[in-house]
This record gives sequence, C-alpha cells and structure tokens, in this order.
Amino acid sequence: MTEGLIWGYVYPNEAEVQWSILIVLYPYITGLVAGAFIASSLYHVFGKKEIKPVARFALLTALAFLLVATMPLVAHLGHPERGVQIMFTPHLTSAMSGFGYIYSFYLIVVVLEIWLSFREDIVKKALSSRGLKELLYSGLALFSYDISERALHEDEKLARRLAIIGIPSAAFLHGYVGFIFGGIKANPWWSTPLMPIIFLMSAIVSGIALLILLYIVAMKIRRHAIDHSCLYSLAQYLWVFLIFDVVLELLEVVSMKYESLEEIEIINILLSEKIATTFYGVQLTLGIFVPFVLLLLVGIMKNHDTLKTIMIAVSSTLVVIGVFAMRWNVVIGGQEISKSLSGTLTYVPVFFGMEGVLPAVVIFTIPFIILLVLTYILPPWKDMEEATE
Amino acid sequence: MQPHIKRAFTLLAIAIIVFIVIRSLVVPDSFGQYGWYRGDSVVDNRNFPVEYAGSASCGEENCHKTLYSIWEDSRHKTVNCETCHGPSEKHVSNVRIMPQPANESRDFCGLCHFRQTARPEDFSQIDPETHGQNLRCAYCHNPHKPWFV
Repeated sequence: MTEGLIWGYVYPNEAEVQWSILIVLYPYITGLVAGAFIASSLYHVFGKKEIKPVARFALLTALAFLLVATMPLVAHLGHPERGVQIMFTPHLTSAMSGFGYIYSFYLIVVVLEIWLSFREDIVKKALSSRGLKELLYSGLALFSYDISERALHEDEKLARRLAIIGIPSAAFLHGYVGFIFGGIKANPWWSTPLMPIIFLMSAIVSGIALLILLYIVAMKIRRHAIDHSCLYSLAQYLWVFLIFDVVLELLEVVSMKYESLEEIEIINILLSEKIATTFYGVQLTLGIFVPFVLLLLVGIMKNHDTLKTIMIAVSSTLVVIGVFAMRWNVVIGGQEISKSLSGTLTYVPVFFGMEGVLPAVVIFTIPFIILLVLTYILPPWKDMEEATE
Repeated sequence: MQPHIKRAFTLLAIAIIVFIVIRSLVVPDSFGQYGWYRGDSVVDNRNFPVEYAGSASCGEENCHKTLYSIWEDSRHKTVNCETCHGPSEKHVSNVRIMPQPANESRDFCGLCHFRQTARPEDFSQIDPETHGQNLRCAYCHNPHKPWFV
C-alpha cells in the first residue's frame, strides 16, 4: 500500500509519516492562545480603549485553548501517563523538554490575569449568592472580599505588570514551537531561524481572527448589537499583522528559491506537487490575499456597517482556515519530503484511531465547550454590551 | 501587598512546593548516576536471564558443525541462527531442552524480502502476490544457503 505513496529514494525510517494531524493541531491551538492573549494585551498593556469590550473575553478564550493545548501532544504520545516526565526530568539540551515549564509559566500568568480582571465580579457574586454558588465564588475570590477602590487599583496595577510579562511569555510559548521546527537542521523545509517569528505572526493573526469570530457569534447569540469601533479596530490589527505574516512567509520561500541550495529541487517538487493546493490555494490566496483585500476595503469604505461586518467575518473565517493550512503545510509538508532530498512521501490521514481526524476534531471542539463553561462562571458580557447600550 | 494577592501568591507557592515534593518522590534516586536515565536500570538489565547463546555456540562442540559451515559462507551469514530458530541458551546448556521450531512462514521471510521501495535495489526482494504461488519459501530456497534453489 505504501508503494504508491512513495516517490524516488526515501530512507526506511521515513516510510511512515509520524507527526500526524494531531501535531498539526498542536501549534494551531497554541497559536490561537498566543494570538488571543496578545489581542487582550492591546487593551491591558497598550491601553487601546476600543479593544476593551473584548479584552476580558480574549483572556477567557486564551485560557480555554491553553487548557487543551497539551491534549494533541498527549494523545499523540501513545503513553500519555509519561507526558509529565518532561517536567520531572527535563533535559537541558533539548528545546522540546522546555515545553512543560514554558507552558506552566504561561498558564499561571493567564490564570492570574483572568483572576485579577474578574475579581470585582467574583467578589460581588460571592456576596450576593447563597449555597453552592456562594462557595464556588468565595473559593474563586480566595475568601478575601476586599473590593475597595484601593484594592481594585492595586489589582489593575498588578494585572498590567502581569500582562507585560505575559506578552513575552506568549511570544515565547509560540515562538518556541516555531523554534523546535526551525531547529531541525536535517529538514530544509523547517530549518530556518525565521520559523519562530513566522509562527508567532501567524499565531497573532489566527488569534485575532478567532476572537473576531467568537465576538460576532457571541453577540448574535445574545441578540446584542456589535460594537463597530471595537470590531473595526480588531480588523485593522488583523490587517496589519497579516502584512507581517505574509512578508515573513514569502521571505522564507523567496530566499530559499533565490539561494537555490541543493535542497531546492525537492522544495520545488513539494511546492508544485505535494502541497500546491494547501500552500498557494488555501494558505496564501484564501488565507492571506482575499482577507487582505477584504479588510483593506473595510478600512476604506464609509458606512455600510452590516456589509463591513460580513466582510470582516468572512475574512476572519478565511484567516483561521488559512493559518490551519499553514500549520499543515509546515508539519505535514516537512515530512512529505525525504531527508535524502531525492524522494517524497504522502501523508494519508486516517479518520478513526488515536492519530485520526476524529480525535483531532474532538480535541478542537473541547476549547469551545470550556469557553462556554468559563463564560457561564465568569461572564465577560458586561464590557461587551455596555459600549453599545 | 493586599491580602487577596498575598493569598494568591501563597497558593502559587504551595502549588510549586507540592510539585517539587512530588518530583522528589517520583524521580528515582539513581537518576543521573551515569547519565540522563535511571542508574538502576543498568543493574535491572544486567539481571535479566540470558536467553540467546549466539551463533558461534551452534558450531562449537561438533553439534551442528556442517550446517554451521554452510551458513557461515552463505549470504545469510549476517542473520543469526537464533533469528529463525529462537532463543537457545537453555538448549546449549542442556541438549535435552529443545529450542522452539524455526519460524519458516512466508511472512517471516517477508520481513526482509517482501518488496519495499525504501530498500536498496540490489537487495533480494519479491512481490508476494506474484512470486512463489504462496508456497513456503523453504520449499524452494534453502534458508542456510539461500542462493541454493
């Protein structure tokens, strides 16, 4: 069966593509986390008031996705119970072994940030409810109910500081994922020092796009008007980061083609045969070019709020799909070329089974369920709705 | 510092301490003794009973000398006796204990000889669908001297 999937000369240990769709999902999810967090810090750190309606919602989104970020990896491991070993005995010369600590540090920052920005609501709920609900919110408030002006001011100061630490750690968490791929010197499609920044930019792009989509959907479900100044502002940031993203992605391919080192022949085959549709079609055209033009039009057009909202929603959907295609092209594309540089392989995803499409879909739906639960416990709607009231 | 922030950081400190305690309990004492692994695993491995005697022991003591000399010159000389005949340490130390019968199924030979693109072209490979009419390989080929058909 593997006969038809292999072309040219490949090494025996490459005959099977080991990093499956789950490993595509992993950088995709961490990217969404980093992007959502950076979107929220536009308000928390850089004081962009127009982002305020979604700032806390963005934090909850970041947490919801962060909680499942490890799941694709653990499911891929085969021995999930051994996953924690990476934290018990991390080898200092391995970039991969840093994951547990980088992830935990970032999780602590996000949880603290959420706690501080929701503390006033938590305390008020604890004081006004009874029974189990009171216990839940009192527990979340750590049984400390001080919401005086001074206490809240202190919270805000600390939250700002945390967000300042949070941005580099978000960048680190995701840049690090890029570094792992960028540091694999045997694979010409991965090995580039640009990889961490490419990953980071596409993370920010996908995170902002997801936030826009979730915001529009949440407002539609709650039958509430969308705050257009917030939406346009997010769309503008999306547009700006799209430019950085496309510049870096193309820079890598263009410099590879211009340098034309010995790997160029296999890279050409990869780009023209193996991942042509997902690279030129989905990643560049649908994921970057079309949203770029649509968002440019949104920036130019006056009035037509409904049309602009639709255009932003379409762009965001395309960006979210495009970034998934980008992860696919990196992770799967890199494994579809042989390290001999004179053969190719083909990844055929299975549907069921540990490494299949089904577990990937299941894992990707979990963050949305977590987000639903989180917004039920810590409703962020007040900020989102007061601007348009 | 506000009391609630103190509590939050105390909680965080407790979580970190709990992690350190669990880590110290879970990581074996001998970890790092020789390298980035459990030092005692070396002892564990050394204490495993020896199951394989090695091909040389088959040719010694005049037991399978003829077969051994044929095999020694054949293309299969890199495939140890016990690869097909199974672990024989017990048989070598006591001839009354027979090793398990040799595995001579088509699939077993196919582990090396069924066609695979990743193998070197000059390596003997067959397409199991078209070659040998589903007979056992040893029906035509002598495994001790595989070119002898």
